Amino acid sequence: MDIAVDKIGDVAVVRVPVEELDASNVGEFKRDMTPVLEAHTKLVFDLHRLRFTDSSGLGAFLSCLRHVNARGGDVKLCGMAPQVRAVFELVRLHRIFDIYSTPEEAVRAFAL
Amino acid sequence: MHDQNRAETDAVGAIQAAIGRHATYALAKAWRDLSPDERLTAVALAVRDQMVERYLETEARYARQDPKRLYYLSMEFLLGPSLRNNLSNLQIREVYKQALGNLGADLDAIEESEIDAALGNGGLGRLAACFLESLATLGMPGYGYGINYEYGLFKQEIDDGYQREKPDNWLAQGTPWEITRPDAACLVPVYGRIEHGVDRQGGYNPMWMDWQALIGMPSDMLIVGYGGQTVHVLRLYAARASRDFDMQIFNDGDYVKAVEQKIASETISKVLYPSDAVVAGRELRLVQEYFLVACAIRDIVRCFEQHHHSFREFPARVAVHLNDTHPALTVAELMRLLVDEKNLPWEEAWAITQATVSFTNHTLAPEALEQWSVPLLEHVLPRHLQIIYEINRRFLAQVVVAYPGDTERLRRMSLIEESTPQQVRMTHLALVGSHAINGVSALHTRLLQTALVPDFYQLWPARFHTKTNGITPRRWLLQANPGLAALICATIGDGWLTELAHLRGLEPWAADAGFQAEFRRIKRSNKEKLARIIRDSVHVIADPEALFDIQVKRIHAYKRQLLNVMHIVHAYLTLIEDGQPPPVPRTYVFAGKAAPGYWEAKQIIKLIHNVGRVINNDARARAWITVAFLPDYRVSLAEKIIPAADLSEQISTAGTEASGTSNMKFALNGALTMGTLDGATIEILEAVGAENIFIFGLTAGDVQALRTPGAYRPRDYYERDPRVKRVAEALRSSVFCPHEPDLFAWIYRAILDAHDAHVHLADLPAYLAAQDQAGAAFKDQAGWARRAILNVARIGTFSSDRTVAEYARDIWDLQRVVV
Repeated sequence: MDIAVDKIGDVAVVRVPVEELDASNVGEFKRDMTPVLEAHTKLVFDLHRLRFTDSSGLGAFLSCLRHVNARGGDVKLCGMAPQVRAVFELVRLHRIFDIYSTPEEAVRAFAL
Repeated sequence: MHDQNRAETDAVGAIQAAIGRHATYALAKAWRDLSPDERLTAVALAVRDQMVERYLETEARYARQDPKRLYYLSMEFLLGPSLRNNLSNLQIREVYKQALGNLGADLDAIEESEIDAALGNGGLGRLAACFLESLATLGMPGYGYGINYEYGLFKQEIDDGYQREKPDNWLAQGTPWEITRPDAACLVPVYGRIEHGVDRQGGYNPMWMDWQALIGMPSDMLIVGYGGQTVHVLRLYAARASRDFDMQIFNDGDYVKAVEQKIASETISKVLYPSDAVVAGRELRLVQEYFLVACAIRDIVRCFEQHHHSFREFPARVAVHLNDTHPALTVAELMRLLVDEKNLPWEEAWAITQATVSFTNHTLAPEALEQWSVPLLEHVLPRHLQIIYEINRRFLAQVVVAYPGDTERLRRMSLIEESTPQQVRMTHLALVGSHAINGVSALHTRLLQTALVPDFYQLWPARFHTKTNGITPRRWLLQANPGLAALICATIGDGWLTELAHLRGLEPWAADAGFQAEFRRIKRSNKEKLARIIRDSVHVIADPEALFDIQVKRIHAYKRQLLNVMHIVHAYLTLIEDGQPPPVPRTYVFAGKAAPGYWEAKQIIKLIHNVGRVINNDARARAWITVAFLPDYRVSLAEKIIPAADLSEQISTAGTEASGTSNMKFALNGALTMGTLDGATIEILEAVGAENIFIFGLTAGDVQALRTPGAYRPRDYYERDPRVKRVAEALRSSVFCPHEPDLFAWIYRAILDAHDAHVHLADLPAYLAAQDQAGAAFKDQAGWARRAILNVARIGTFSSDRTVAEYARDIWDLQRVVV
């Protein structure tokens, strides 16, 4: 999976490159995210391309958060489509992630 | 007049053109080349066009006025055929008849060709359908939510007297009445587990992870009220596998497993469970129930949020009604949505939920109350189980305050039954989560309050209501019995169609010789039609001169088809052994389905057939007694049977039938009731007067007293009354099973068992006496007609319009929206 990572200060902005994150590609996503998670403790997932995710996709995001939290860091989310946000809210993941409209807002939040 | 004729001609022409257009563009055929099914489709689509126009007008009206809306959740909607109902309610049947005549087709034949939509087992589902029609007729915003079962209630065939179930693939030809709404599809998670976490504020955060996703695909059926001014929607959901199974097929190595999982998902809405009994432990049924609730609540909230911003307004704009406990998960699902997704504090969400939800109980049998095991709920709906536990914790804290130290009461009232495994009591969940609970007849509500859930009645007496069931007079008189409907309209006008109490205007006509003669002529014509159906379907010759004694309903021990058969056996033996014919010739008609797993009920069907075969083939009995069992009872068959009845059998064990509704349908069509003091039959007695009904047997209190150990001694009746003994011995013998000895010996044992819950022998003597009375009364045809007319005149309160208006006033706070 072609995951692009941009640095803004000490925050890594990860652009999730797929429209659908589900059982068919979540394994690949987790594999390709491993080095990114190892290299950074402040991450923003830019989800503006994502149109669909299911419980396996949600599990992947939770796993990333846990991994980064364990190293004293945090993950924030931004650019979420309404239908993706709805699935996050269904499972109460919106209570453990900070969610923003744009990457810039999310990056700024790290400074607060 | 000239203008009127021209307008009619234009209307007929427009309809012909519409039908022709649908033939061409929907079916790609010329009208003349259409098969019978295709003709039905073309006509239905033309009718649907008019319904769609009225539906859009209705929705626009509601959008302007923003009225409170009722959402009626039911696992069953027994709609029956739709074409005739829609034409009649739109008041366009005559122009369609003309238009089709001009096209060389017969509307009656096209209507007859429609397959029933049998998305229900019996009374509960038919009540839901009557209610939707009444809501639309009254102009009260009311919508239905249900499941779009691919296979409805099974088709019943009879093979050597035994019921055989065949699949009812009602959607095989498609249905022209449904409008699919893929834009309103919703995701329904099931299974999974709870990941216990902590939120940003340090609070406990349970996350529902690793679920399987189902997709609820809605289709709308339009429901038109009488007069055509208001058209509502019944939204039915079909289950589809979510896309991940499609992806897995291509990406995963295990193609077959992926397809199996896809098929398993789509099984959710495959089949209606063919039983009203508790479907103990059936995981698929639990998933079905949650599927309905999740789709409905998601859709209701989506509609609400389109025009409103604060959930504080929710109860003022939304009423959700639960038809029995099947959708009781609504309480937990609405809480989940408000708390988990909308971030409302628990207390606020609970106040909203209670103010929104109301619930009808339909059963009195404790063993029929729905329960789901805790392990099963944990497996299927882990988050909902957590919510139910929290609801229970808070509820029991209230009970402790109200009844300190009463641990036994806590145990009785808890939402969790402490058995092995633990069970969640769905009736308690529904009760706790509702602001109003109702029974469906006065007796039923009283028994609910005093016997079924007395603790809840003591805690919350104001929440309990009676809402006696009703039926729509449009389907059950106007459409089913056009001759009688026309006579009534010619006599007192047509106001009764929307105010059934106007039938009172018939009272002065009950003794009028001319009216009686016409009434009898119509009844005779209906009986001739039914006799032809009986001849054509089961090759039994029924004499329309005979008293048509009819019992049509689900086959169940508490409805006591067996008691009816015992009377028939008595009448037969009295004739051939004592040489005493009954007062008048009688044709006994039965119809009804037994749940596939219900052995005793299926044996009763076999008994009816065997008794019928013996009697119908006995030359000594032919002039006096005929027995017919019509297979595959359904709404369309009921519409033909009920208008032909002289005597309607409503003989359930007192205290078991919550209401009944066929009792009302028969009385509305001019049959006298032979009944016990049970359900709504008690209220029918009060309405029509004791001289116009045949009531016999024990009261609910009497039956309850007989349940004390040692109180019921059936052998005493057997020994004391030679008629009882003779009937019991005949059932035990091979008289009715010459080739299968002892086939019915179990019946003998059952009725002589002190544990016979339906106390057949206790009621048999009184039943025989009442039947003798009925037979003697039928000899006086003018007197019988007078009483039948008075039944029609006095049955007006049993309209579903009245029932729905009461719900709207007392429970839903729903208003009529003026056009």
